[in-house]
Amino acid sequence: MKNPLARSLGWYRGLVILIAALASLLLIVPFLILVSTSWTEGSFILFPPTGFSLQWYAEVLSDRRWMGSFGLSLWTATISTVIAATLGTAGAIGLTRVRSRTAQRWIRTLFIVPIALPPIAYAVGLYGVNVDLGFLRGTLVTLIVGHALIAMPYVFVLVSGGIARIDPALRPAASTLGAKWPLILWKIELPALLPYLLSGALFAFIIVFDEVVLAVFLLPPGMQTLPLRMLNASQEAFSPELTAASTLVSLLAILVLGLIPLSTALRKRRAGRSVSASSSSTSRRAARPTVLEGVIE
Amino acid sequence: MTIALSISDVHVTLGQNHVLKGVSLDVRPGEFVTLLGASGSGKSTLLNVIAGLQAVDSGHVMFDGVNVERRPPQKRNVGVVFQSYALFPHMSIGENVSFPLLAARRPDKERRAVADEMLALVQLPGMADRSPASLSGGQRQRVALARAIAANPGILLLDEPMAALDKQLREQMQVEVTRIQRKVGITTVSVTHDQTEALTMSDRVAIMCDGQLVQVASPEDLYRHPVNAYVAGFLGEANLLPTADGRILDDATDAAFAGTAVLRPEDLVLVSASEATPAWAVEGTVRLLSFQGTRFRLELQTDGGRKVVCSLPTALDVSALGIGSRVRVACRNPERVHVIPAAEQVAREAVAA
Repeated sequence: MKNPLARSLGWYRGLVILIAALASLLLIVPFLILVSTSWTEGSFILFPPTGFSLQWYAEVLSDRRWMGSFGLSLWTATISTVIAATLGTAGAIGLTRVRSRTAQRWIRTLFIVPIALPPIAYAVGLYGVNVDLGFLRGTLVTLIVGHALIAMPYVFVLVSGGIARIDPALRPAASTLGAKWPLILWKIELPALLPYLLSGALFAFIIVFDEVVLAVFLLPPGMQTLPLRMLNASQEAFSPELTAASTLVSLLAILVLGLIPLSTALRKRRAGRSVSASSSSTSRRAARPTVLEGVIE
Repeated sequence: MTIALSISDVHVTLGQNHVLKGVSLDVRPGEFVTLLGASGSGKSTLLNVIAGLQAVDSGHVMFDGVNVERRPPQKRNVGVVFQSYALFPHMSIGENVSFPLLAARRPDKERRAVADEMLALVQLPGMADRSPASLSGGQRQRVALARAIAANPGILLLDEPMAALDKQLREQMQVEVTRIQRKVGITTVSVTHDQTEALTMSDRVAIMCDGQLVQVASPEDLYRHPVNAYVAGFLGEANLLPTADGRILDDATDAAFAGTAVLRPEDLVLVSASEATPAWAVEGTVRLLSFQGTRFRLELQTDGGRKVVCSLPTALDVSALGIGSRVRVACRNPERVHVIPAAEQVAREAVAA
């Protein structure tokens, strides 16, 4: 039962478990407190909460401003994610076609740099673009483009990791079998990279959905994305509406993240059923990457 | 369909390395030629040149007399089995095998028919719907082979096809691949560093060393008549001894001998001291005697300090062959002795230097 690591640690295991438990508490307790304050019957954020009611949830869900912001966030984040996933994947696949190693290193760095740059730098720069180009004023174009830029490196990194894990002989094999590049891209490379692309897109979406700095600068007057509305709500009245909204968003994120392992497990079971007993489960796991495999690395 | 392959004076440079230095090779239609060499000898590069995956600096690659060195791999009509097999992991076995027909935009029905036919040929009938991950190593190799020949290519290229298999399966697949190759009758070039594999499968073997072909000949010819010491030592065990006037000169200095005699261990027999000395004989002290199952392996050290290996039948009484005892071994059949002329040796070393 015991794995080799557990055995070699001996009694120190207790200490390790204790520290791990404390660290998890540190991460989870604030969230639990936040959730509990949203149950309150009163109209202030208090801990421990007074009584139990779901009135603030009802309030948020029936408020057209909250739901409007939620909808706005959802569709702008979706468009940004699609752009980021397309560009990031294209960049990662395109990079493998670059012959020079030095050029490869430079391009790779340039694709990853946006992670390190402060969002405020983008925000100010894109705000300038917004002001200079009159036809962009009052549109969401710069916000979506900015968000796509911020999210692209995550897709790029995850898809690059996927490329490193698939057999480098696949492309030469396909080309000797007569396939030209569009066919290789659609039938060989993209399907093989799909799990990495999806987890990259998921990361991108979560990051963009939460992003508030660019939203402050680039949203047209009168429009508020969900994180921006939360920020404003926290500055105006510190009402349990805010914590209820946060809880709802967190639950949504947990739900989405929970769906992925579930779908992977389902697909695996389906694949397992069509396969006879001769195959070993380890070889199948090696060949079919799960969606989150690239994330865990 | 099968074609004649002709490579003439091909040079390839990768970065700073001159990988192929003027390689010329002719392969007849339907012939199985193996490129055999140590790693880094350029054999895989030569295979990539034939497949069109590697551009040449100079020289020509001709399929049936037509220059193809500017043609991309898509238009060369070659079938390649890669070392990793490179099966497409997200496609079924059937889709993998019929992929070349998909690339050629053949109709669905024809693709399925060809996939079934090819899988039957490699003895994996009814496997079309399974995924590559569910197959064993040997089965994957069969699928890779089926895919490589599905579009009826003019030439089949095998890149270290057995490297990923264990020893038993390897021997089985060597026979299997040769059977399929003969049945289809396709011109085949294979790359390996395993000499048993090269000898088992090929009509001719091309020994490669340092970007050049050293000798291209049938397996038996290579073994019996190696052109130089490198080939003699590369293929099986060989005793290389200086010789002149049909005798072995164990104590010869470098300048005095006319050539190098190649004596295979299995051609040597023990001769008693009382017997008249045969022409091809050498004397030495026993260094090691080991039992190898089908034979005894006797290792001698000659007075000149050279090592001589001799195979003895297991029926022999070996009690007299204690370590340190003096014995004489000889080759009684002079036809089995091959002499590499010294001039060849010198010329070869000059090229290498």
